[in-house]
Amino acid sequence: VVDQIRLWQLENERMSTQAGFLFKDFDSVEEYTALSSYAEEIGVLEWKSDKKGLFFVSKYEQIRDYLKSRKSAK
Amino acid sequence: MPRAVRGVLITCEPAIKSIIVHLDSENHDIIIEDLDETHLFVKENMIQVLKAKLEEHLKETYRPEEPLQDSDKEY
Repeated sequence: VVDQIRLWQLENERMSTQAGFLFKDFDSVEEYTALSSYAEEIGVLEWKSDKKGLFFVSKYEQIRDYLKSRKSAK
Repeated sequence: MPRAVRGVLITCEPAIKSIIVHLDSENHDIIIEDLDETHLFVKENMIQVLKAKLEEHLKETYRPEEPLQDSDKEY
C-alpha cells in the first residue's frame, strides 16, 4: 500500500491532465493568429504552437461564438 | 474552417511523455496529437486506462530500496 501511494505521488508530481479542446485545421495563419490571440485574451488558452498552427483551450464556447461573428462580419 | 477536437491535455516531463508514447505504440489508441516534448493531446475516455498502464509501468521499473516481504518476484 505504501508503495502504491508513493507511485501515485510520483505520477501526480510528474504529470497533470486537463480536459478541453484542441483547435486545428486553420484556413490561414491569420485565422490561427486571430483565434489564438482571442483565446489568450479571454484566459482560456492553455497551450499553443505557432509552428504547428494548433492551440488547446479549456473552454470553447466563446471561441465558437467569436468565430461565428467573424464569419458573419465578412 | 478550423475544427475543435475534444480531449485531454497532458503536461508532463519528457521521461513520462516517452513512456506514454511507448504505451500508445502498442495499439495507437491513446494519443490524438503529439504536441511537444512536454505536452500530449489524448482521448478523454482513455485517461483512466492510461493512468493504470502508467502506474503499472512505473511499478515495473521502480525498485524500492528494500524488497517487500510478500513480493512474489524471483531473484
